[in-house]
Amino acid sequence: MAEDLILELKGITKIFPGVKALNKVHFQLRRGEIHALMGENGAGKSTFIKVITGVHAAEEGQMFLEGKEVHFKGPRDAQEAGIAAVYQHPTSYPTLSVTENIFMGHENVKSGIIQWRSMNAEAQKLLDSLDADFKPTDEVGALTIAQQQMVEIAKALSTNAKIIILDEPTAALTANESEKLYEIVERLRDEGRSVIFISHRFEDMYRLASRVTVFRDSQYIGTYDVDGISNADLIKAMVGREITDMYPKEDITLGDEIFRVEGMTRTGYFKDVSFDVKAGEIVGLTGLVGAGRTETIESVCGITKPDSGRVYLEGKELSIREPLDAMKAGIILLPEDRQKQGLILSWGLGRNVTLPIQGELAKKGFNDEKKERELAKERLEEVDTKAVTIFQPASSLSGGNQQKVVVAKALAQSNMKVVIMDEPTKGIDVGAKKEIYEIMGQLAKKGYGIIMISSEMPEIIGMADRIFVMCNGRVSGCLKRSEVTQERILELSMEKGSSGKGGAA
Amino acid sequence: MKKKSVGQFLSESREASLVIVLIILLIVVGIINPSFLSFTNIRQIFLNNTLTFLMALGMLCVMLTAGIDISITSTLAFAGMSIGLLQKYNILHNTFLLFVIGAVIGIVCGFLNGIIIAKGHVAPIICTMGFMYIWRGMAYVISNNNWASGMDVAGFSDFGKDGAPGPYIILIIAYIIFFVVMKWTRFGRRIYAVGSNTEAAQVSGINVDRTLTGVYTIMGFLAGLAGVLSVSIYASAQPNMQYGKEMDVIAACVIGGVSMSGGRGSVAGTFLGALIIGIISKALPMVNIPNFWQNLIKGVIILAVVILNVVTQRTMERQNLLRREM
Amino acid sequence: MAGRSGREISAVPETSIKSKLLSWEGALILILVAVNILGVAISPNYNVNNVLREMPRYLAEIFMMFGMGYILVLGDIDISVGALVCLAGTVTVLSSNAGAPFGLAVVICLAAGLLGGMLNGFIATKFTELPTMIVTLGTQIIFRGIAEVLFETWGNGGGTASMTDTKGLMLLAKKIGPFPISFFCVIIAGAIMITVLAKTTFGRKLYAIGSNKTAAYYAGIKVQRIRFICYSLLGFLSGLCALFLLTATFGSNTTTGQGFEMEVIAMCVFGGIATTGGKGNLIGAFIAAFIIVCLRIALGQRNINTQVILVIIGLMLIVSVLVPALSGALTAKKKKAQT
Repeated sequence: MAEDLILELKGITKIFPGVKALNKVHFQLRRGEIHALMGENGAGKSTFIKVITGVHAAEEGQMFLEGKEVHFKGPRDAQEAGIAAVYQHPTSYPTLSVTENIFMGHENVKSGIIQWRSMNAEAQKLLDSLDADFKPTDEVGALTIAQQQMVEIAKALSTNAKIIILDEPTAALTANESEKLYEIVERLRDEGRSVIFISHRFEDMYRLASRVTVFRDSQYIGTYDVDGISNADLIKAMVGREITDMYPKEDITLGDEIFRVEGMTRTGYFKDVSFDVKAGEIVGLTGLVGAGRTETIESVCGITKPDSGRVYLEGKELSIREPLDAMKAGIILLPEDRQKQGLILSWGLGRNVTLPIQGELAKKGFNDEKKERELAKERLEEVDTKAVTIFQPASSLSGGNQQKVVVAKALAQSNMKVVIMDEPTKGIDVGAKKEIYEIMGQLAKKGYGIIMISSEMPEIIGMADRIFVMCNGRVSGCLKRSEVTQERILELSMEKGSSGKGGAA
Repeated sequence: MKKKSVGQFLSESREASLVIVLIILLIVVGIINPSFLSFTNIRQIFLNNTLTFLMALGMLCVMLTAGIDISITSTLAFAGMSIGLLQKYNILHNTFLLFVIGAVIGIVCGFLNGIIIAKGHVAPIICTMGFMYIWRGMAYVISNNNWASGMDVAGFSDFGKDGAPGPYIILIIAYIIFFVVMKWTRFGRRIYAVGSNTEAAQVSGINVDRTLTGVYTIMGFLAGLAGVLSVSIYASAQPNMQYGKEMDVIAACVIGGVSMSGGRGSVAGTFLGALIIGIISKALPMVNIPNFWQNLIKGVIILAVVILNVVTQRTMERQNLLRREM
Repeated sequence: MAGRSGREISAVPETSIKSKLLSWEGALILILVAVNILGVAISPNYNVNNVLREMPRYLAEIFMMFGMGYILVLGDIDISVGALVCLAGTVTVLSSNAGAPFGLAVVICLAAGLLGGMLNGFIATKFTELPTMIVTLGTQIIFRGIAEVLFETWGNGGGTASMTDTKGLMLLAKKIGPFPISFFCVIIAGAIMITVLAKTTFGRKLYAIGSNKTAAYYAGIKVQRIRFICYSLLGFLSGLCALFLLTATFGSNTTTGQGFEMEVIAMCVFGGIATTGGKGNLIGAFIAAFIIVCLRIALGQRNINTQVILVIIGLMLIVSVLVPALSGALTAKKKKAQT
């Protein structure tokens, strides 16, 4: 073994109740390299990271740090061994100061007294080295996501970590912020640290990494030199098949315009957003995270109040003040966060499906449980939910099947005309994804108007008839199916004339 | 960096705004009745509210972990009644030992709260409600519904009588210790960390269960101490002593800027909150407002403070949004 | 559509799940029986007639318990209701003494309760950022504060007032057969409140909000309106509680209703309603309430230090919330051992 390996994992298996989250995976990290870890959602990347950082203990396998076998009992052990992780959603203490967030767990203490002054000075030094534009004494909850991530990186540096893991760090960042992050990560590498970089974005990988390891369906697929693998091969490694057969998009003759949104504005979130949907059409709404897609849709559906804007359904203007108004009109939203917004996890599947329509099924205010059960069973079978009974709690299902329950819940609303799906395939496995696409295709065939919000470019290109791209709260362009490419979407997603935006207020 | 507006400064530093409220309060009351600012009067404000001041420190710790403890005055009564009875039946008259016994009773009561909340994952309000009944009931049971009168506790009550330095010394020591512990020691910061983000605390290797247990034990310790002090200051022990006072303690913390959702609050704020509550009850009769207005005014102030907080928070968020370019 | 696999999902309710759910109520009934046996064993005067005679002064709280059950199912809490009972009782006594006919006094009593509840609901729904514990802590002090001011400014001072014209109250305190009127009222109110919570769409919405407020809102439920309704309802029931309390006390003072809020919360929790929301039902709470009432009467007749009841209530509370936690931990351990 001539390679200078700082970290090596062999045959790691991690089992959660009922699921093999990792199945004999391998991983090798060289000293001073940036190593990308790629794979679809649910491929096991996050679990793998948690094994490295000591949050989960693996059932099988060995882990070697600088050639010596190690067994982490908890996150503390991993930290002390020089491993630090920066998560997509910063795991910070929002009510505490930057300094405190950086040094939590390894404060500078002299005879029992915390040395705030020296810690603040040290924090300032770390922040300076990262070109941060905030102070050590600022409260972390008041910072932007990008700034919070910087705090996390400073935290990693403060422990003098030899291995730094970045879990989807660019997902919530603007283009400028991402570029800044790239520079920081390169600097870390030049200092001799090793970086594991998890990302969905190919540009991240090409820009930074020298090698890439791919996981798929909890298994190790391979490790490749970034220069030596083509984009198509990499996708094939990640998805397991040619990507074309993923999207069962049929040609449907589009009907008349069914739904139109005009001049939607909500101060601080989005401005002057307009788009329209025809019957049988799938309209994609994309852009970077934070571009205001979800916020716009939530205002359209009455979840939040817009400052101005009009919504037309079949040519008639609607007055939507609360979610019920939109639902009554036939605009059905499948929310982004299915666990928090879409489902009541502790409830049975059946009750979840009939929640929005229990009033319609009821007789004089009394629940008609029998009718509810029949309807729930019918709808859940229609979308092929993998479940034993309609009484099992929603929390017992996998992500993909939970999403199917959300779809069943929408289908149960018989007056549905427009379906809005916010990140419908987020965090679900490949098989379930395809089934969701099939359902979308069938709904389109039946003449519903469909709006799909997605950050995943392949699916939006694969499924949508037209794509509206949002950038910094505005619609920056609309692309037809015939003219769409990844590059054009990216171009429209990125801010132009970038200067001094999105920073600290 | 832009200059901060006054509103921003005040909403960011709760202590500063409380000091301003306090100064205005003192000036107004002082003008109407100058004798309010006399040394004796101010000393009495502290003496009358010693128990609130003391227990507010523990409540601060509990609320920082997003918890609450409504059993404190029952613990207080149980500890106070116990040491009252020890004197009534002439078992023990040593002031120091009585304090130790009261404190130990408090620690045991608090520890039980803590262990059940931390290990049993019982909602703090329910667990402490249970013990609220239990210890109050036990105070009645052990005393068989009798009092320990001033005669019984004579001698011991010298410690807390008007003019004696005892209660002030305890308060000063307690506030100094808590001020240092909460800001300058790992244990103090861990309490903040657990309340600010429990999951993150676990990831950074903080023993959350132990911290929670510790916090309720501290609360119990202070409540036990307050029980002994109460007997000494009011020169009697009865099983219904300080009934309902826990709401005053919680109110002091809330006014002092301690957040019920955890992670936010300070010793200085708690002190100011308790002081404002103390001043209101003392000042009303002196500015010719009859005492029976006290609760109404106190309630209005509590609601006004928390609602004002929400309103300033909302305006700030609104302003931040307006500033976002698009 | 999809469903190609032809997989069938069962829609037949499993009786074993139901019997599991019933077990807590079953246990409570057993406890109720045990308490009555204990009553007969320790007191020679413990019989149906005496129990019913002593019951009215304890029954009043149960009205409030139904409303509290709704609030707890929502995942909220209201600690102001004890003070609200004091306020409603006080305005009733004072207005009656000032010459208001009994009918008007009753209306005033219920209106005072309703208004107090609406105030709670208004603040809780307009400032959703505030924990309801804080809101109702504030109004608790205010309600009692108003009563204290009324005693001094409108009444005769001294923080207490007795109703001079008790004819109307006597009427309400009458009996039909061996049963006091309030007993029937509690049973009727209970039947309505239990049915609404268990069987209607409104009840289902409460559970939805208590289980996941966000998902309920996204599903088109008017979360804030329902919260407002529940707070108002609890306020109204507090007024009703004040009224029936007056039929036993014929007066009001500054400590009236003190601790009621905790007692009704304790009844609910002991009856299986979780303070975290979305769990439990009023049947359990109803039985739990009668357990506590019977225990009180039995201990009271025996002249046992009545405060022992406090220790017993406290212990019952802690045990009832610890049992699911402990059994949950045990089954988790067993599962772990199996894998």
